[in-house]
Amino acid sequence: MIIEIAAQGGFGGIAAANLHKTIDVQDQPEQMRQDLCEAFEPDQLARLARQPCGDCADRLTYRITVTDDRRTRSFTLREAQIPPDMLDLIDQM
Amino acid sequence: MCFSLHCSHHHPVACIVPPYMLRVMALRGDPRTAEMARALLKQTEKLRDERAELNRGGLPPAHPISGAFATAAVSPAEGLCCPDRRIHDGQHKAALPGKLIRSEGDGPTGIPDADTAYDAAGQVFSLFAKEYGRNSLDGEGMPLVATVHHRRDYNNAFWNGTQMAYGTGDGKVFRTFLELSVIGHEMAHGVIQHSGGLIYENQSGALNESIADVFGSLALQRALGQEVHQADWLVGRGILGPGINGAALRSMKAPGTAYSDDLLGQDPQPWHMDHFVATSDDNGGVHINSGIPNHAFYLFCAYLGGRAWELPGRIWYRALQTLNNPMASFSDWADQTMDAAIELAGRGSIETVMLRRAWKLVGIAI
Repeated sequence: MIIEIAAQGGFGGIAAANLHKTIDVQDQPEQMRQDLCEAFEPDQLARLARQPCGDCADRLTYRITVTDDRRTRSFTLREAQIPPDMLDLIDQM
Repeated sequence: MCFSLHCSHHHPVACIVPPYMLRVMALRGDPRTAEMARALLKQTEKLRDERAELNRGGLPPAHPISGAFATAAVSPAEGLCCPDRRIHDGQHKAALPGKLIRSEGDGPTGIPDADTAYDAAGQVFSLFAKEYGRNSLDGEGMPLVATVHHRRDYNNAFWNGTQMAYGTGDGKVFRTFLELSVIGHEMAHGVIQHSGGLIYENQSGALNESIADVFGSLALQRALGQEVHQADWLVGRGILGPGINGAALRSMKAPGTAYSDDLLGQDPQPWHMDHFVATSDDNGGVHINSGIPNHAFYLFCAYLGGRAWELPGRIWYRALQTLNNPMASFSDWADQTMDAAIELAGRGSIETVMLRRAWKLVGIAI
């Protein structure tokens, strides 16, 4: 599974400051691989995308694309919709 | 009307609350009402995709309504005294608020970011309290909760609806976010939210950003004791990384000139409506087009001279409290500032003439 994450927005509104990461889950250590598979499971991402998003002043927007053997799925998530543990995982990637 | 929570169980077509009203309710309602409004908006968005004729739900009221925000917020708060600051260490994690490290009245922690957040929050509280009679961000003395060291190499600072959070920056594009105009900007988002709010997209979102920049800049100028012509009118001076060719993130005096760098490109802010940027990025360019009302405020202050946080700041603050239009356009806002100027300085006063001139110079006629 390949995970691509692109962020935009934020206080600065500067594109160059935005995060852009691509990671092949199979190349990760076992624990990380397991954490990533759980957090970025497409149905889980779809559920998060349906969560209400409160005040979003200066917050980031994430475009997450997950590609596995069968297909590619993309989701747009506001930072406020993403659980803290998952944000920590993104920071570790 | 379809204001009850039962509405969320109805078929959306049966609900006559138009989308613009739902968005206001999502912004201003209590948690249950806001949740209901968001659920209905989701349904409306789905329908919009399916049925193009539902693209527009209607128009906002032609005339502002005298509502609770307007009447309550322009009256100076009673019992206004002291801030209640609570600074937390996020320990580079995303969970908020993190570990409490400095409460009101505590001595310095020795952690530079925490102590800057504490001191700056006091400066911003003082601006709103002493100059505009406002008791904290909500007007009712809410605690000033902030988290420093939020996430790892995080290139951002934000207001999440209840607190401020500041990253450290990655050291390359940003070196810090703990700077008074930035802290004032984030806290002003809280004031805007508790003043009826401005929907965070397109022109109303750019106004939200501009008003946050205005009060962030005023907090800094007041703290430094600077008059209009002594101030640099920069937002986020010194926060860009050491290798970046730029003085700050934004310039209210000269939008579009804050930085010019190989990595970041040119500061994209326009100063005139002729250069308004139409984009779907950044919630419709909220951090870009804010340059236009930012520059109008600067021009108005420059025409008047003196201390910008006094009459100009009071006019902008009063306009915010009486606006009562979360989808306001730049033109709506300009009109509102004129109404506030007439109330505070008098019809036909030199101040109102200068205000009209400032808006005209950025391409907005009032």
